[in-house]
Amino acid sequence: MTVAVGRRGVPPWPLIRQVLHRSATSLRRIPAAIVPVVVMPIFFTVAFSGTFSGLTELPGYPTDNILNWMVPYACLQSASFAALASAFALGRDLEGGFYDRLLLAPAPRWTVPAASIVWAMIRALLPLSITLALGVLGGITFPGGPAAVWWLAVGSFAVAALGSLWGLGVMYRLQRQSAGGLVQIGLFVVMFLSVGTVPLDLQEGWLPYVARWNPVTYVLDMARAGFIGPVGWSEVWPGLLAITVGGLLLVWWAERGWRRLVP
Amino acid sequence: MEPTVRTAPIVAEGLVRAFGDVRAVDGIDLEVADGEVFGFLGPNGAGKSTTVRMLTTLLRPTGGRAIVAGHDVVREAAAVRFSIGVALQDASIDPLMTGRELLHLQATLYGIGRRAGRERSDELLERVGLTEAADRLVGGYSGGMRRRLDLALALMHEPSVLFLDEPTTGLDPMSRVNLWDEVRRLNSEHGTTVFLTTQYLEEADELAHRVAIIDHGRIVREGAPSTLKAQVGLPTLLVDVDPGTEDAARSALSTVGEFRPTRAGRVAVGLFEGASGAAEAVRVLDAAGITIHHMELNTPTLDDVFAEATGRRLEGSGEADPT
Ligand SMILES: Nc1ncnc2c1ncn2[C@@H]1O[C@H](COP(=O)(O)OP(=O)(O)O)[C@@H](O)[C@H]1O
Ligand SMILES: [Mg+2]
Repeated sequence: MTVAVGRRGVPPWPLIRQVLHRSATSLRRIPAAIVPVVVMPIFFTVAFSGTFSGLTELPGYPTDNILNWMVPYACLQSASFAALASAFALGRDLEGGFYDRLLLAPAPRWTVPAASIVWAMIRALLPLSITLALGVLGGITFPGGPAAVWWLAVGSFAVAALGSLWGLGVMYRLQRQSAGGLVQIGLFVVMFLSVGTVPLDLQEGWLPYVARWNPVTYVLDMARAGFIGPVGWSEVWPGLLAITVGGLLLVWWAERGWRRLVP
Repeated sequence: MEPTVRTAPIVAEGLVRAFGDVRAVDGIDLEVADGEVFGFLGPNGAGKSTTVRMLTTLLRPTGGRAIVAGHDVVREAAAVRFSIGVALQDASIDPLMTGRELLHLQATLYGIGRRAGRERSDELLERVGLTEAADRLVGGYSGGMRRRLDLALALMHEPSVLFLDEPTTGLDPMSRVNLWDEVRRLNSEHGTTVFLTTQYLEEADELAHRVAIIDHGRIVREGAPSTLKAQVGLPTLLVDVDPGTEDAARSALSTVGEFRPTRAGRVAVGLFEGASGAAEAVRVLDAAGITIHHMELNTPTLDDVFAEATGRRLEGSGEADPT
């Protein structure tokens, strides 16, 4: 048998496809793993909307429908969980040695971390559709039209991708599954210290200062824009900038970790 | 990228890997010939896995260089990866997948099409005797089955160079012999060059055409097992005779070898001609009318080679054990 492959090695996509296929298979083998993906978005949507429903009565709250405010937040929260799941899966592969098999593949090396990120983004599709469906059932409105959904999707994918990069950096440095706890804390802190539940103008004490410096605040503003009103560049550019800057920093963070794994 | 001169499949020059202050591999020179089974023998922590990880592009050397399958392991890592098959010390397999799924995954990773990959998987499963177990989750496999699967995975793309890091550590004797047979078959039928690390003397002795003994990151001896053993010393013939006839036996044997100290009633002689001198010894003793009660030939083992080189024994625990 001859293997028809150029001297430069194999193209990148089979590796990515294979990693995705395998991730889907393990999700099927441990059905419990699907629980956070499905339950979390439902939980966030219902819990936040219920707990904070009184908020809309406050003067200055930008919408009178709590779902319009909370669905994007629940969606991004859940996207961060997709990144977390991807980090745990990575930890398992690093600890069990399976990662070596991927690193030994003749495909370009960048495809190995890329596959983790793509997987988190694909997983983020699930909470996106679940929270939106719940929102529609609960009477969410789309003042921004289709752009509302578009920017919500952009925000979700960005959180999944950036969260994965954070996770890759941590996991590559510590190389064990238990390091997932650290990834979780990091994700929780940035998500919590954003403008998640309460609008910036209504927050008190030190929180708004932190939130103003938290890039997630701007990503969330962007993801929410179409649910508050019509979307123009002025609503989304800070979010896109936050994604770009955060992305660059996190690529650097993940890349430095990667250098420790494959020094 | 095509090598201009045909180089040996594995060449290392002054290869070093330091982890902080620890020099896990401390300047290794190697040349493994085409079609050779090369044994890398050493105790735990000697630097075997670190060497394998550098040669297979998983770890960057901190000094020296290595050429594998005609490509530099640092500058042309992807080309190296495409030419080699690797079974690492901890079989890198996912317990949640079946053997067949892993083989299909491996085929894709090496750019082998779906149809060809499936055919090749069946062939490999048959070859390593896992056809029955192919659709069971790997998590339920025994140690021997995992190793065989790992070997099959490493062979997926018909690599010309195969790296096996302690392939039989922890296996029962039966599984070990099976794996040895498979390695021998690969080497003789396909001419695959094999780089094999082991802590087991018999394994190096049985399988390897050439052996390098590694200790504390350095190669302390290198050569064919028989040559190495011959260098340690002559095989010793022990002959038990009637008490009182030792001197007569010694004078009869003076032409076949040199004498070694031993107990009364026994003569120990290092045979000049090696093991083949034993026949001559019997003849001269018989001619001198000396009764032989017991006779044994002690040939040096690779353990003696290791002991001579390091002052420690490898046999047993594999830990430092001063003799
Ligand atoms: N990633 C690492 N970081 C620090 N030290 C290491 C690392 N890998 C191996 N070592 C050290 O290098 C030495 C050689 O290890 P190794 O190559 O695994 O030996 P062997 O495979 O012969 O048992 C050991 O002392 C080990 O502790
Ligand atoms: Mg080892």
